[in-house]
Amino acid sequence: MKIFDKENKISSLVSTNSNLLPVINRFGIQLGFKEKTIAEICAEKNVNPDFFLAIVNTYTNENYFPEEELLEFSPLLLIDYLKTTHKYYNEYVLPKIERLLDAVMKTCRENCSSLKMISTFYQKFKVELHIHLTQEDEKVFPYIIDLYHNRRLTEGKTIGAYEDEHTSVEEKLSDLKNLAIKYLEPTYDSNAMNEFLQTLFQFEKDLYDHARIEDLILVKQVMRIEESLKTNAAR
Amino acid sequence: MMEENVFILHPSEIIRKGLALILQEYFKMEITQLSSINDLNSFAAISNNLIIVIIQKGLVLPEETEERLRKNNQFNMVSLSASTDMEGVTEGYDYDLNVLASNLEIQKLIQVIRKSASKSKAATVENGDLTQREKDVIRQIALGLSNKEMADKLNISIHTVISHRKNITEKLNIKSISGLTVYAIMNNLLDISDINPEELI
Repeated sequence: MKIFDKENKISSLVSTNSNLLPVINRFGIQLGFKEKTIAEICAEKNVNPDFFLAIVNTYTNENYFPEEELLEFSPLLLIDYLKTTHKYYNEYVLPKIERLLDAVMKTCRENCSSLKMISTFYQKFKVELHIHLTQEDEKVFPYIIDLYHNRRLTEGKTIGAYEDEHTSVEEKLSDLKNLAIKYLEPTYDSNAMNEFLQTLFQFEKDLYDHARIEDLILVKQVMRIEESLKTNAAR
Repeated sequence: MMEENVFILHPSEIIRKGLALILQEYFKMEITQLSSINDLNSFAAISNNLIIVIIQKGLVLPEETEERLRKNNQFNMVSLSASTDMEGVTEGYDYDLNVLASNLEIQKLIQVIRKSASKSKAATVENGDLTQREKDVIRQIALGLSNKEMADKLNISIHTVISHRKNITEKLNIKSISGLTVYAIMNNLLDISDINPEELI
């Protein structure tokens, strides 16, 4: 693992960690990089390079935590990014998982009741995730945008109060995986199941990193704004 | 198994890459190469891991970062010196390593560090089948009972219920109530007609 900097080639980023492909897409960056460095491509696409690096490094290194000076970019940038990610989950990943699960179900010939339970459980997870994403899109992000523009604290509202529920969604996804791996009778086609599970694994990692970006970067930035407003108000 | 993080902190890319290659040859571990000591600040939040920092002799870490890492982890600092005169372990480091060290010596050092880490690690949870009592508890969880209701029904204290739940989660690695409900049905602890799947799962 390494920490990427502005002088690294963007192609080396993707070769080191192919999971970054959808991440860089969210910045409007697509393949065909030639020999361009991160700094060059960011300038070309009008992306704040510090912001870009904070995201890709947090994504690549489990234990990475951007330092203060790397958090100077506007939280509005981050919110745009997170919204795009939510859209990617809702419009691409979840339908894909569902399609793969359907494909597994279709291969089941007998004793399919356990598999149906897995499917019901998946639906439950999906609903919960959807509520969580909607809550962020409709409540948390507007709160931050308002705070940023108007520089005014609202009685009883803080980012701390919104900070919640990642864990329960993550718990369910992990349970779903474990149930399928450990307790499900193999009455299905293995290839179909493997594909479904691999996508779940990938999504689990993605959600985990997504949550880390929210907790480590966004929440931190917002707390800093709240703190400074509180100090000003006290004066 | 505790997670392991190795950091190689050295201004020389040749040394960083070479050492990383040697380590990767023998051990499956997460290796991070950093050229400047301040880069380690970004990792100060790691906890409950085995951390091995291999650092150019003479360099010291930012105080706050080292303190934090030491407090929350099994933390080991290995100095890497260029000269061959060994005078025991240098103050401020836990182990010494030399650029002329053989592959074998490097392997040995890692094994020593691992051993000392595993000694101080708490005993791991046994991983067995569920006891009859634990199965009773899962059934009640799936039926939607609260801890208090379960305690009354099974004639045990709330404290015991909580301890059963903790053991169940550790054994099965299933945490959510809906997950445990699905488990109960899949393993015939419960019939699907006993619950309302719309509501509970």
